[in-house]
Amino acid sequence: MTNYDFIIIGAGSVGVPLSFYLAEKGMSVLVIEKLQSVGRGQNRAAIGGIRATHSDPAKITICRHTIDIVSRMEQTYGYDVDWISGGYLFPVYQEKDEVALKKLLEFQKHFELNIDWINPAEIEALVPGINTEKLRGGTYSPEDGSASPLKLIDAFYMLAQQQGAEFHFNEKVIGFETNDTTISAIKTDRGSYSAGIVIDATGAHSREIGAMLGLDVPVFPESHEAGITEPVKRFFEPMIVDIRPAPGSTNYYFYQNVEGQVVFCITPEPGIPGLDCDNTSVFLPQIVSRMVALYPRLRHLRVRRTWRGLYPMTPDGFPIVGFTREYRNFLLATGMCGQGFMIGPGLGEILAGIIVDQNATDSAILKQLTLYRSFSDEEMLK
Amino acid sequence: MKRIRQHPVLEIPENRKEIHFFFKGKEFWGIEGEPVSSALIANGIQVFNIHRRGDTPQGLFCANGQCSHCTLIINGLPQKSCITPLQENMEIFPLIHLPEIPQDDTPLENYHKITETCDVLVIGGGPAGLTAGIELAKLGYSIILVDDKTRLGGKLLLQTHKFFGSIEDCYAGTRGIDIAKKLEKEIRQYPNVKVYTDTAVVGIFKDRKAGLFSANRRYIIVDFQGMVVSAGAREKSLIFPGNNLPGVYGAGAFQTLVNRDLIHSSHRILIIGSGNVGLIAAYHALQAGMQVVGICDILDSVSGYKVHADKIRRMGVPIYLKHTILSAEGHKTVEKVTIARVNQQYQPILDTAKTFKVDTLLIAVGLTPVDEFHDMALDFGFNVVKTGDAAEIAEASSAMFGGRIAGLKMAQRLGREIEIDPAWSQKADILKSKPGKTYPPVSVELSKSFQPIIRCDEEIPCNPCTSVCPVNAIQLENKLGNIMDIPRYLADCTGCGLCVLICPGLAITLARKIDDRHAEVILPYEFIPDFSVGDKIPVTDQTGQFLEDAEVLKIRFNKKHKTHLIHLRSALENGTRICGIRVQQPAVTKPLPRPSYHYIPENGIVCHCEMVTVRELVDFIKEHNIHDINQLKQIRVGMGACGGKTCSALLPAVFRMAGVDWNDVTAGTKRPLNVEVPMFALINEEISE
Repeated sequence: MTNYDFIIIGAGSVGVPLSFYLAEKGMSVLVIEKLQSVGRGQNRAAIGGIRATHSDPAKITICRHTIDIVSRMEQTYGYDVDWISGGYLFPVYQEKDEVALKKLLEFQKHFELNIDWINPAEIEALVPGINTEKLRGGTYSPEDGSASPLKLIDAFYMLAQQQGAEFHFNEKVIGFETNDTTISAIKTDRGSYSAGIVIDATGAHSREIGAMLGLDVPVFPESHEAGITEPVKRFFEPMIVDIRPAPGSTNYYFYQNVEGQVVFCITPEPGIPGLDCDNTSVFLPQIVSRMVALYPRLRHLRVRRTWRGLYPMTPDGFPIVGFTREYRNFLLATGMCGQGFMIGPGLGEILAGIIVDQNATDSAILKQLTLYRSFSDEEMLK
Repeated sequence: MKRIRQHPVLEIPENRKEIHFFFKGKEFWGIEGEPVSSALIANGIQVFNIHRRGDTPQGLFCANGQCSHCTLIINGLPQKSCITPLQENMEIFPLIHLPEIPQDDTPLENYHKITETCDVLVIGGGPAGLTAGIELAKLGYSIILVDDKTRLGGKLLLQTHKFFGSIEDCYAGTRGIDIAKKLEKEIRQYPNVKVYTDTAVVGIFKDRKAGLFSANRRYIIVDFQGMVVSAGAREKSLIFPGNNLPGVYGAGAFQTLVNRDLIHSSHRILIIGSGNVGLIAAYHALQAGMQVVGICDILDSVSGYKVHADKIRRMGVPIYLKHTILSAEGHKTVEKVTIARVNQQYQPILDTAKTFKVDTLLIAVGLTPVDEFHDMALDFGFNVVKTGDAAEIAEASSAMFGGRIAGLKMAQRLGREIEIDPAWSQKADILKSKPGKTYPPVSVELSKSFQPIIRCDEEIPCNPCTSVCPVNAIQLENKLGNIMDIPRYLADCTGCGLCVLICPGLAITLARKIDDRHAEVILPYEFIPDFSVGDKIPVTDQTGQFLEDAEVLKIRFNKKHKTHLIHLRSALENGTRICGIRVQQPAVTKPLPRPSYHYIPENGIVCHCEMVTVRELVDFIKEHNIHDINQLKQIRVGMGACGGKTCSALLPAVFRMAGVDWNDVTAGTKRPLNVEVPMFALINEEISE
């Protein structure tokens, strides 16, 4: 039975960057993926936004790392991953949203995040032609941005292999052998392996993996639909997040990528639980009417493609990261609630530091994101 | 102006409204309602846009609304010009790199959802969809039939030639364009059929609905119980350097320009592919007054019907078998094309290169079914059948029959207890048959009275000559016992000429002995004669060998068949050999004295939407160890406007070049939308013009 320092289950947004940071530190790493190649679970469905301006310390810390890594990806490693520092804009049209976002702003400023309240004229300068009727202003964080999920995960895949990480595709984990408080072997449909540490990075499928070990990992996938338009010349800068609810949906967001295509996604209300990723006829009229109302200029853009992806949700909207008490060598890095793409790189770097180098600086993250928390808080901007 | 002013078969409408439009600020005229692309080509404009990758010029490519090569800025918006109807005073500009979005900040005032309900949604109003719709309509089902063109009939509208098959099953001997009219008239009789033309299905959704993009401005969501997919086929593309130059397009695109829009789009043409599509395209080009320098095929025998190939050769078009294309070259548009013989491994032998000066290169290397909606519907567990080319690439004769069967099958799926005559399936299978055996010619002795000389020596599913003969003088040999059998003349010909007129292969002549030195031969002729009685014209044998200059005795025109019967006086020994009239002289088809080309095969384009070359793809596949087509999206393959419709048929060859076994490669995931739809249309916003 082949032994590795680390076995990561899932070659997605979280597992692949992590495999690189572990391998880079000289660890032997095997990544087991049931699909045919990297990122074919939910990374393929991510629209590409990356922000550090969250509402909790853990994600703020992690995503700052991510922005640092992604923005220097080309310079450091030679991979162009289509990073644009276009910022995130939350335009506000309702008093209660203004109150809530301004309150959050204080918290975010406390973490020295580059984010501020801007007035309608400043918003119009960033998004020429945006609907200004009743526009009260909004928060804007210029250092946030976007990158290509396809290119970023492939860059990490290439880098991880260069550092000696192994990848097994089309291979499915079917069970574990355990002795008392450790996992002694991972069984797949093709063989058995042992590892010093086993990491669950299976996102939407973490409950199934947990169940094989008798653990209840509360990750419940919900599906969200996204779309992309034809490319046009750059006409607005930031990722725009409209947090007002409307019948059938809560927030939606869109930005213009490096190619010039507008990428958009909406959060359905009530949520659509389950693993089904087939498109329905509801999505397009629903999101397009909201987008054109907010930004009339979009009406002439042609929608090219739509798809669905899964948000692996947790009860409180925060990820689950950390070792389990039941199995000391089993680490969870899952339940990213639709933010695996922006959390993955930073989390990979931080986790490798914590586990391999025993780096204690960021260990507060594990306390906040532990499986054994009460799950009673609610993420404000999930 | 490059418009067809006279045509031996097509009627040139007289009531067309000529209107003015502007291209780059300069005034031109076109026909109201014709596609903008056709109006431009009629005015000699071939370069429509400059692609942002490599500053490459692009022009018309599919003429079918599928790709985005023909995008122009029309009245301020990027539009596919092949599906945008020309209107008075349109302002048209070439698209250079990415378009700019118009600064239209009018607030959104009203939008609505349009929904429809039907029993069966029929996707595609070609021969299969129309016949399926008719059968279902007869049974009382409510039908929505959707077609993305302005007129119903699908590819029938492009088919100016007479059909193969049998008269009772599929209108054999009638021209496709006339069959389309009959079927359209029939389906429009049913009040329970709602027809949407200029309407594309853009997606099939899990909640058993389809999204329709109609008339470039509406989005209709249709709820259906069953779905018939009769969306036809798309043309395969081919990888070679220069394959993206304006002037390179599919044979179907060419037929659309010439036969539907009546544009004299080219002067000299070379065709790649000797299947029926390529052979017929050559014939259509000649009928429209263009020169065809040759047909090239990498295989060692003609892929289409032998009667078609023989006919083309008789007209004076050489067929280069065991030849491949090396390059298409030109400044902005095609100016010359080079072909060469291939060796046993199908690799080109450069010493044999021949360069032809042409302005158009037609690709006719086969078709692939447009069946993705069928597969998606199956995945979703819907009632769905596919028919016509969407099910299996075959002749339209078989599609019409298959459509009827598909209609009844759908009725069965919907719970109707109904029998489908098993003989129907057999007939449909026969009509789909590939050509069978070829037989040696039968020797004929001429007498004083006329008799038919039949050069239909290959088994194909066709028998109208036996049906039209008033005295049953022509019968099929009973070898296979079906319409694949070879027709033979028995006795008692009255010389009426009906068999000559109806034969789709122009493979029948009538001949008689005039005296000891002369014979009289009657030939079918589907061109406007440029000769008169008393002239001597060049005639050939079955496969195009020149025989003599024969004297024209009489010219008769049959209105019903739109075919001339030319009576000739020839040497007696040629009476049984004369089969055709040469319309193109050998000098026309000569290559340049010396070949002249650059052969850099790895510069061929695979993904036309995003201009990705073979070299880029092969390098990427190797470097990143790719076994999954979805991973090619990183280099934009499949991310363009067409969604992988053009490149997917080319990818097996590309993976082979990169040393990857195609069987190990995961297929690309297909997702809506099938065609790009502007946001204003998706919400049916009222846009004031």
